[in-house]
Amino acid sequence: MTASKSKSSTAGIFPLDKPDLLQAYRTMRTIREFEETLHGEFAKGDIPGFVHLYAGEEAAGTGIMMHLKDIDRIASTHRGHGHCIAKGVDPREMMAEIYGKVSGSCRGKGGSMHIADFSKGMMGANGILGAGAPLACGAALAAKFRGDGAVAISFVGDGASNQGTFLESLNLAAVWNLPAIFVVENNGYAEATSRDYAVAVDSYVDRAAGFGLPGVTVDGLDFFAVYEAAGEIIKRAREGGGPALLECKMIRMFGHFEGDQQTYRAKGELEDIRENKDCIKLFSERVIEAGVISRAELAAIDREVIAAIQEASAFAKAAPLPTAADLTTDVYVSY
Amino acid sequence: MGSAIGIIANPVSARDIRRVIANATALQITDRANIVLRVLSCVKACGVDKVYMMPENGGIRHHVRRGIDRAENQGLKHFPTLEYLDYKISGTVADTFKGARLMKEMGVAAIVVLGGDGTHRAVVSTCGDVPIAGISTGTNNAFPEHREPTITGLAVGLAVTGKVPADIAFLPNKKIVVRVNDQEEIALVDVAVVTERYIGARALWRTETFRELFVTFADPEVIGMSAIAGLLQPVTRLDGHGLHVRLAPEDEAAILLNTPIAPGYMRGIGISDYTAMQPGVKYKPELTDGSIALDGEREMSFSQKDEVTIELVRDAFKTVNVGACMHYAARHGRMRMTQETTSQPPGGKT
Repeated sequence: MTASKSKSSTAGIFPLDKPDLLQAYRTMRTIREFEETLHGEFAKGDIPGFVHLYAGEEAAGTGIMMHLKDIDRIASTHRGHGHCIAKGVDPREMMAEIYGKVSGSCRGKGGSMHIADFSKGMMGANGILGAGAPLACGAALAAKFRGDGAVAISFVGDGASNQGTFLESLNLAAVWNLPAIFVVENNGYAEATSRDYAVAVDSYVDRAAGFGLPGVTVDGLDFFAVYEAAGEIIKRAREGGGPALLECKMIRMFGHFEGDQQTYRAKGELEDIRENKDCIKLFSERVIEAGVISRAELAAIDREVIAAIQEASAFAKAAPLPTAADLTTDVYVSY
Repeated sequence: MGSAIGIIANPVSARDIRRVIANATALQITDRANIVLRVLSCVKACGVDKVYMMPENGGIRHHVRRGIDRAENQGLKHFPTLEYLDYKISGTVADTFKGARLMKEMGVAAIVVLGGDGTHRAVVSTCGDVPIAGISTGTNNAFPEHREPTITGLAVGLAVTGKVPADIAFLPNKKIVVRVNDQEEIALVDVAVVTERYIGARALWRTETFRELFVTFADPEVIGMSAIAGLLQPVTRLDGHGLHVRLAPEDEAAILLNTPIAPGYMRGIGISDYTAMQPGVKYKPELTDGSIALDGEREMSFSQKDEVTIELVRDAFKTVNVGACMHYAARHGRMRMTQETTSQPPGGKT
């Protein structure tokens, strides 16, 4: 997904044209609706494996991905649905994949934590923490050799930022001056462990500095803050300026996984998040107050998104499961 | 409260996009904690026994506590008693507002601030007449003077314990009050009117969006918005006026000024004209829709339906005059540890 550069009535008011603002809202709402639907469906017991929901963090993934094209690659995390949708993966195929159906993005063999779509530059969600960072380095190295201006982005959570793979990747990216960007989605908890307890450095900018990379911290709940900072970082990487780290401070609305009772949160914290720290609500208020988009326009998108996700859910449920014969396909690449 | 002081150290200053676009400093948390420890030992050396600190979750407090514990383990007594204010941490500027207000209510004699211009602005917003002493740990930092924090700590200690008379130890400062309808904010150094209507990443670096600039002082030795004014017409912190600069696109400008608007980030700035900004006059921005950046960060947006005024105010708050404190202390033997202190300099009266 790439924001257009055309001027319109939003010029000077917002950094995006009105169609792009509407697209940003549609993407965030699609992620939210997708995750809310999964939240309800998972409780019924029909979905295999685990799901980790991205609800509440939509502004970060969307604000970053608005700058990317299909040739740009991303390496996602176990909490990857939002990254997939923002990168352009079809929500119908994603839903089918999560249900383990043959109509899924990976023919039902990946599930929630291994959704991939190379045609969209989505190298995969990843069930192994920190494992996406070396993949992003590889994709960035390939882009550097090709010289096509593509970038690669690795997403990690605050917990996975402690993994050796992540730290080694920061080093590699700096040494080879790769067009790689490391996004730390800091939602404050590694499963149930507070980052204050588990992360030795106090700032991810400090961590980046230790490897000679510039680091930037933004409010991940503010779509415009993420969009603006990510834009500069991605532009710099495309032009050969090298790797950088972007920390997005954010909040997840659901537990680490579905079923997590979140007993580690303070009383009233979740209610406060829903009421005052909902990134989509903050975005909506901003564009409506500026008179650029009407409440009715957003409501129309809401209706379309709800219908689309309902249809995706029905499609996934109705789709067939893989057969035993499918077990040995897609295992090796045919040369 | 005697000579207790407060310390407000911002853990998230120097973290914005200027690390990427301008190779700006990214001062590590441990370095910020070390600065606090240096200040603590210096104020203690001057006779300050109690210090209150703003609580934060950015990591500074843990490193400070570790430093104090290690000193105590070694039997060293060079730190004052340190107490953190007790309130729920939000991780936002609200912590600074609350910390400064509580310190004022507790009657601290001064507040040492570690941060950028924005942090200092937040402290001044709520600390009332409590003098502040600034230490630069931000990005552009026109307001806090750049010097080794050890000296700032010593000057604060000398000032609040009366070793330097108040009329020498403290300086009055100007501020700019910005009102958008009923909302009121202040700036310590500069108010920039820009075309962008969104706050976004907050920092200012897109020069084509700059339209008007109001400054309390204009210093050619700083960077950022104040540098634009400073390179046109220097105005000191003690002058009774500020400076109002009207900016223009390059092809319409009367002057094209080569300006460091961020660390190492030189840009040509188009200038229409500049005049003295007089105190007590309510200026209105020429732009009808845009944002207002306070001390280098976009904070308020406005449209043609809003009533906006910008006003320079003199004698608005006090700062510790670090240079004057140290020179007075030297001339009057305030740092001599023997009994033969003298109130007269060898070369005559001061």
